[in-house]
Amino acid sequence: MSSGGRRQTQKAATRQRVLAAARDLFVAQGYEAATIRQIAQLAGVSVGSVFTTFASKGQILSEVMRERLDGLYAELDGVIPHLRGSTADRLRSIFAIHFAFEIRHVRLFLAHIAAAYDWTLAPDATPFGRNQRLKGLIQDCLAKGVAGGDVDPHADPRAVIDLIMAAYAWTYRLAAWEAAGSEAMTRVMDQQIGLIVDGLKPR
Amino acid sequence: MKHVSPTAVTGEARVKGPTRRALAKQQTRNKVIAAARKLFSENGYEGATIRDIAAAAGMSTGAVFANFSDKSDLFREIMFSDFSTLVADMRAAAARARSIEDALLKIFSTGYAFYQTQMPLARAAFSVSWAPQEGELFRKLPPLGEIQQLMLEQLTLAVERGELGQEAEVKLRAQMLHEAYLANYPQAIFEGWSLEALQARARDQIRILLAGARRG
Repeated sequence: MSSGGRRQTQKAATRQRVLAAARDLFVAQGYEAATIRQIAQLAGVSVGSVFTTFASKGQILSEVMRERLDGLYAELDGVIPHLRGSTADRLRSIFAIHFAFEIRHVRLFLAHIAAAYDWTLAPDATPFGRNQRLKGLIQDCLAKGVAGGDVDPHADPRAVIDLIMAAYAWTYRLAAWEAAGSEAMTRVMDQQIGLIVDGLKPR
Repeated sequence: MKHVSPTAVTGEARVKGPTRRALAKQQTRNKVIAAARKLFSENGYEGATIRDIAAAAGMSTGAVFANFSDKSDLFREIMFSDFSTLVADMRAAAARARSIEDALLKIFSTGYAFYQTQMPLARAAFSVSWAPQEGELFRKLPPLGEIQQLMLEQLTLAVERGELGQEAEVKLRAQMLHEAYLANYPQAIFEGWSLEALQARARDQIRILLAGARRG
């Protein structure tokens, strides 16, 4: 192995250790309270090498979320081809799976939403709202609805996606501020999806 | 702010105008608020410190703390006064509308126009609202709830006029309209959407959210 290759491997290992340590700390004490210093300590690396791998704490969070979401979307990729029923029903299933997955770490997810407004976040970080995969899933669902005849082909999918994402973020606040569980969240989201999709019926 | 000269007070002698000291205090507060507004816009909520704000206002940190208990208190004061103005503007705009769709679009547009020149401040407000500790106090600012209340009033009036069906679920619709209104801000904050682009998006969203109620 060339020294460059060895350096690459080492860098990847540091990266994984930092991400694992950060995830544990964010879950245990919240994103705001966790410091880069603590993350470095838990990962067994120097503060300097954390900063050579990541630009900021916000970027670490964004990477932690991306890795977690890889698991969620792998699960969804297996489920989606088997979804049946109306557009509203299919959207409801997609979100019920999201809630069941995310409720385990609501605090982490809320930090993810708050980070969308972080001043210091690098442009390539992916806070909530820039999650193209979820937007893509909704878009596919709507396209299927247009093909199946229960969604108006004239409806602008971008406007619909933004409405659904807004409802999704709001529903999370129930978990954060009213300690709602995933069932309560799913019920509220179901209602909102019903109202939105009702407005998309072909006229 | 209305200034009343202490010597101009007529009527009962017990009703006093603001003393010179009270006026000086108000001036100090205004200076702090102006400096804070500028720094929150430039550096975000987290990035602005009381020390910097005091320096920008040309006073000691002690003088700032004599007027505001902490940074979040100062930020809330700015937001409270902005939101109060904004809600009054929205109410006036909605009163001139010819239909429920028009009224809602005017409410959305008034908000987007208000923040168009001060998006960094809007960004700071969103950031604070999601923060675990400061967020709760911030979210309870009365004028914040009034926007959704105004939307609810407009929907209720539309039901009374027969523009929307009796089964219009006005409460859920008002909440969802409010969410959509807020959720469009990130497009303006991060992607630099123009006022026209925001209005076009809002128009589509309002139409979708009302469509089911029309068939009623």
